[in-house]
Amino acid sequence: MKRWTTVLGRVGTVLIAISLALLLVSLIPQIDLISYRGGTSVSPEQVSTTGSRVLNPQQEVQVAVTVEGTLTVYLLEINVELQFVNGTFDYNFNVADLQELLQEHPDRVTWEREVENEDYEWSYIPTRVMNATIVFYNPSDSETAYVEYDVALKSSLAPRDKVRTIAYCATPIGIILAIPWLLNSWKQRKQK
Amino acid sequence: MGKGKPFLEVLSSAIHEDYRFPFLEVFAFLYALGTFVFASFGVTITAQGATNEAIAYDVVSSTLSIPLFIFIILVFKNIAHGLGSDLEKGIIQTYFSYPLRRRGILTAKLLSALGVALLLFLGIQISALYILAPDIILPQLGTVLLTYAASLSYPLLIAGIMLLLTLKLRRGGISLVVGLVLYFAMSMVSGIATIFAIYTENPVSLQIISAISPSLVLQQYYGGMLGDFWAPAFSEVLLYTGVSYVIVAFIFFLGYIYFSRRLNL
Repeated sequence: MKRWTTVLGRVGTVLIAISLALLLVSLIPQIDLISYRGGTSVSPEQVSTTGSRVLNPQQEVQVAVTVEGTLTVYLLEINVELQFVNGTFDYNFNVADLQELLQEHPDRVTWEREVENEDYEWSYIPTRVMNATIVFYNPSDSETAYVEYDVALKSSLAPRDKVRTIAYCATPIGIILAIPWLLNSWKQRKQK
Repeated sequence: MGKGKPFLEVLSSAIHEDYRFPFLEVFAFLYALGTFVFASFGVTITAQGATNEAIAYDVVSSTLSIPLFIFIILVFKNIAHGLGSDLEKGIIQTYFSYPLRRRGILTAKLLSALGVALLLFLGIQISALYILAPDIILPQLGTVLLTYAASLSYPLLIAGIMLLLTLKLRRGGISLVVGLVLYFAMSMVSGIATIFAIYTENPVSLQIISAISPSLVLQQYYGGMLGDFWAPAFSEVLLYTGVSYVIVAFIFFLGYIYFSRRLNL
């Protein structure tokens, strides 16, 4: 019985130590890597993109959009490149590419949301190294939509919310496991 | 009394000595913190340019830098100081009076010194990496485990040599110094071997070192940083890792033989 109290107690104190490390990791502030803002109009049944970035699990992309009209905003796991076509630079991604991707590779749609005449903010932390491209699609067949976007890429040691949640869950378990052992040790010291 | 109970007695006594409060907790804290602080996915990696295996190797290698050194300190302390002081104080002689074979006593001591330390180190590091990048770690678990196996082989070899020295000298101070010297000597020797291999464009020196420290061949397999003159195949990586563990097992086998038959206390 005493041996099991010791084993569980030490497991508890180790859990508390790990939780403290996770809390410390979650408290280290994020570093701003890059941020850019812009605006564009999206013609009916057309797409517009903001370019591609390679993201890793220590990065968080934060996006804020203001939409006039109706737009579907996608975060796609694709790489688009600028091309010089008919005297202008444009990304090599059009509405046909989007339709094909949605039908044949739905797993590459990381995030999707329809935004209608509103301000909307969201953030995303990848769980692997991936290419990410924000795509605006205007589903309307007659109205042009306008979007202003603000994209920020931040770097952190770990996904803060996830790490903090684990620390918050592990700490009470650790304390519960450690209390009998700590009380036992304290009683023994008092007797000595 | 069965054989299980005296074995557990020796094991619990060894764990109690090796991991006095708050040793275990401090090391657990450092492993968890170190994994996140040193984890790096590489700034220049492009999603198309690197395979998932190479990314998994890169991130595991980056987390191994300082946490591996902390792990080595813990293992060296346990073997040199733990076993050495038990021999000096005559605690091992007391264990010999237990209804337990000598190899059982050494197994219990090594389970405490190495097994618990390995469990703590790998458990915390792999869990932390899973929290960080589940879609890299889980699909590439084989690569992750191979990277750990290749990186831990040389420290385990030194641990075996330290075990032999501690048993021979019956004190841990000198074996601790020898262990640390051997650990740092490897980085110097591999540096010299690398320069030699690059100038001669002959990988023999690197292949010899890979037989005791297979992290070198794994690094060349995934990174190819040392040049085109050596492009090891995956089977070669497995072969070098296997050979290194055969050497480690042989050194520990010698330790068991010495402890069981030659150690006169």
